[in-house]
Amino acid sequence: MQEQLQTIILQVQDAVKSVLDLAKLDEIRVQYLGKKGELTSMMKMLGKLSSEERPKAGLLINEAKQMVQGILNAKKKELDDAKLAKQLAEERIDVTLPGRDVDLGGLHPVTRTLNRIETLFSKAGFNVEKGPEIEDDWHNFEALNIPKTHPARAMHDTFYINENTVLRTHTSGVQIRTMENKKPPLRIIAPGRVYRCDSDQTHTPMFHQVEGLIIEKNASFAQLRALLIEFLRQFFEDDNLKTRFRPSYFPFTEPSAEVDIATDLFGDGRWIEVLGCGMVHPKVLTNVGIDPDEYTGLAFGLGVERLAMLRYNVKDLRQFFENDLRFLQQFK
Amino acid sequence: MKISENWLREWTNPNWDTITLSEELSLAGLEVDGIEPVAGAFTGVVVGHVLSVEKHPDADKLNITQVDVGEASPVQIVCGAKNVIAGMKACCAKVGAKLPGDFKIKKAKLRGVPSNGMLCGASELGLPDDGVDGLLVLPADAPVGMDIREYLDLDDTIIDVDLTPNRADCFSVIGLARDVHAVSGVALTPPFKDKKMAGTAECPQSVEVQDAQACPKYLGCVVTDFDTSATTPAWMVQKLQRSGVRSLGLVVDITNYVLLELGQPMHAFDLNTLKGAVQVRKAKSSEKLVTLDEKERVLSDDTLVIADDSGVIALAGIMGGLSTSVTPETTKIFFECAHFSRLAITGKARKYGLHTDSSMRFERGVDPMLPERALDRALFLFTEIAGGIISQISSSISETHLPTPVPIELRSETITKRLGVEVSKEQVQQIFERLGFDIKENESGWSLTAPSYRFDMSIEMDLIEEVGRIFGYNNLPETPVHAPMTLNTLPESEQSLLALKMALVQRGYNEVITYSFVEESKQKLLEPTQPYVLLKKPISDDMKAMRTNLFSGLLQSVAYNQNRQQPRVRLFESGLVFYKNDSEPTGATQVPMLGGVITGNASASGWDAVERAVDFFDLKGDVETLIRMSHQQESIRFDECEHPALHPGQSASIMKDGEEVGIMGQLHPSLVKPIGVSGKVYVFQICQDALMTMQVPSAKAISKFPEVQRDLAFLVDEGLAVQALVDSIVAVESDILKSVELFDVYRGEGVEASQKSIALTLKIQHQDRTLQDDEVDTLISEVLVLAKQAVNAELR
Repeated sequence: MQEQLQTIILQVQDAVKSVLDLAKLDEIRVQYLGKKGELTSMMKMLGKLSSEERPKAGLLINEAKQMVQGILNAKKKELDDAKLAKQLAEERIDVTLPGRDVDLGGLHPVTRTLNRIETLFSKAGFNVEKGPEIEDDWHNFEALNIPKTHPARAMHDTFYINENTVLRTHTSGVQIRTMENKKPPLRIIAPGRVYRCDSDQTHTPMFHQVEGLIIEKNASFAQLRALLIEFLRQFFEDDNLKTRFRPSYFPFTEPSAEVDIATDLFGDGRWIEVLGCGMVHPKVLTNVGIDPDEYTGLAFGLGVERLAMLRYNVKDLRQFFENDLRFLQQFK
Repeated sequence: MKISENWLREWTNPNWDTITLSEELSLAGLEVDGIEPVAGAFTGVVVGHVLSVEKHPDADKLNITQVDVGEASPVQIVCGAKNVIAGMKACCAKVGAKLPGDFKIKKAKLRGVPSNGMLCGASELGLPDDGVDGLLVLPADAPVGMDIREYLDLDDTIIDVDLTPNRADCFSVIGLARDVHAVSGVALTPPFKDKKMAGTAECPQSVEVQDAQACPKYLGCVVTDFDTSATTPAWMVQKLQRSGVRSLGLVVDITNYVLLELGQPMHAFDLNTLKGAVQVRKAKSSEKLVTLDEKERVLSDDTLVIADDSGVIALAGIMGGLSTSVTPETTKIFFECAHFSRLAITGKARKYGLHTDSSMRFERGVDPMLPERALDRALFLFTEIAGGIISQISSSISETHLPTPVPIELRSETITKRLGVEVSKEQVQQIFERLGFDIKENESGWSLTAPSYRFDMSIEMDLIEEVGRIFGYNNLPETPVHAPMTLNTLPESEQSLLALKMALVQRGYNEVITYSFVEESKQKLLEPTQPYVLLKKPISDDMKAMRTNLFSGLLQSVAYNQNRQQPRVRLFESGLVFYKNDSEPTGATQVPMLGGVITGNASASGWDAVERAVDFFDLKGDVETLIRMSHQQESIRFDECEHPALHPGQSASIMKDGEEVGIMGQLHPSLVKPIGVSGKVYVFQICQDALMTMQVPSAKAISKFPEVQRDLAFLVDEGLAVQALVDSIVAVESDILKSVELFDVYRGEGVEASQKSIALTLKIQHQDRTLQDDEVDTLISEVLVLAKQAVNAELR
């Protein structure tokens, strides 16, 4: 009997060698281990053996069954592995091909700059205020201490719509509107489009400004300095940014200053003017019903395009409004 | 204003180099726009005396000259300049000289004749163009052999100062010098002593000021019996030139010189041309004057003029008239030196298109105490140069109309509070001493009276600015703002524009910013009936109308990019549009809009996708994304509409609560060419306000009971909007009908040509229990009835 079992095992070993698929393997399983399989039949024959022989024979047959099962299992794994390997090989792709539906546009560099400015100031508690772009004479000029006969009117190349209505020449009018409607203390910025009747290489008839305003008790010029120096250093991410405040003149601030920066990042360390600022003129405060003895105001105005040009290395101002995709797509 | 550095240094000479001087001026608030050396870098050029000129034997255009350069013997120089003549004085570069551009002068032979140097023209020395083709001609008295740099004072720089309107007092050499003194502390050293100039004879020209408010001070003086052949000395011509003023004859030069030196505009009349008294009055309507620039001006009655019995003879403070101007034949001069009030002159120069050095100063204001001094200075200079007899001063002064300096209180406490730093008493006093203020100390600080030229001083803050300015803004500390720590509001029901923009960016849109003013004709093409606002004086004709939609700018940007090989374009813009509306205080309703445009392929990268051009629904998907981001999908719907800019079959109104808040669709095919774009272009715009309110989510319980789904296919008229069918079904108003969703629109086999099949999925669910079949069936049959009634829809 041992020999017979040995033969069966050899037969199975031999049979699986040529098997290529699971169906064929199953046929072999049925042939030896199935209900009528050879080893099953031998098991059934056990009853005919004597009680002394039976356990030993049973043990041998079971061992043989396990061996056959082992052979079959090994083959099955081999077949499974081969199948998986084949599938994997077939499913191989070129992972360097581009992904689908990548379609990313971009924000305009001016918006990007505005966002940066708004974020910096709103983190310091400034609220963002908006105002109209067609503005009346009061908000754009009179209330800001620029009466009709003031020579500073000549500083603003104003687009007039009629005698009393203009395209706003700065966002400072939003200051007035805010102070007219809200009680101090105030901390606001007013971003937006402004218009000047001027067009050449370094001027576009429309550009963007961010006006900032603080109304507090006892605000000082030293605080304005700290705020703006801090802002410029954060905006340009340059702790070594050099700044200087130059006395200047705006009818709505007193004292007034312009701020220059110098950095090794751009501009060969030359002084570059970036903003105007000052303490709100007492007359402006009076105009909107704020007592200048009780409150003082700090105000500043940033030229957004100028900051964007410096920050993003844009050489020609006019590019901002040509809207060439090859330019815009660099600001993704 | 341009001014010679050397001239300024005659008045005060701090130990600063040119760069430092200009930086200090800037830091004092007198912004230096540029500094420029008056001449190129050169050496070895001297005054030469051309002794003889002979024709070159072998060259028509060359001459052989013998030039005395102050050495033992003259040098021979071959010269090609046309204006070379014997006896002239000219600039001569000697052998060994270096001219601008590192050009070395060597011994040479020109057509066989030795030449030992070079006679130079202005441009060869890097001097401004003098309009002469040829050599720079020097005055006859130029000392032979003297270095040209020294003789012409060429080691000088022109400083260009950009003055702010408040610093009218600095519109002169003396004005700048005063501030340099204030900043540096270096003494003022006026190069001349003021001298009272007045003759004994009565002034033959009488003066009548009829508007003393506009002209509170008018001084006149007549000069006769002077040397009419006298010319402007070289030093004066040169100073004028360095300020960009051309020499125009002695009399005018002197008035210009005094204007630059002291800041007082003056005028000179030919006395013989004046008839009767000189009057200062307002012009009569339509009076005429031919001004010095030979243009006839028709005057309006708000213009201050100088007149005589014959009519207007000058625009006060702006420009003189031609008929009374001084000429080389003039033998008697009437000098005018007046103070006109700022308000009388403001705006007039602009009105007549006549911006002059004089108007510029009077508009900003001139020191009212200056005319006496300036007239003395002019008369002194004139008689020094040309001699002559001076009359008495004829004057009209109205003290009541002259501004009187008023003391201003300055509290030391306010300085500390406003500047944020303590400035010592001594320092404050020193600052105001140097600035020429009259200082009286008192308990709280000082009582300060500004000098007459600082009429920009009126309130305490003006004084504090002066303290800050001279103390140095950059010497002030940096003190952080201290304010109560409060949290900013963060309204969750407010959509952020940035979030909407980013959604478009993620869908492939690039943001553009276009001008708010557009071409009128294009705006009319897009919205022929919408009234718009016009600019009075636009930059150009194509920037004349305030936009009433975002389409014009977006489409112009599409055209720009299509013309640059960019066929696939997706752009958006946010900004105001302006509807003319006379009931608004500004004459316009100004509405924040968000708009976009797409054209070209639907997909960005094509290696895998089927190439397909964008269509209406690509754009609608983008618009609906924005709507969903703001949770407005329930309240916003799209209705068919007609709009002149859009394809009548592919245009929709975006409606919110029954009101149109936007439009979208295909650009009308007939507009494609006139607008300048190509292909099919789809546009949208929507009021930002419609997207700005969001709902703060409030979570509802999720039903635990099974959802029933019923698919219904309806046959409807071809022209029926799907929305109408959906509306008819939703009208059942059942709590268990959770949603109605479109999943197919079918035309073709099995459906009549006049019809289409619309397949909808209805999702039905009860919140609290499992639905019975008959409940669902009842709902469906109700729905079918409604659909039939409302839009004649039949179940397919």
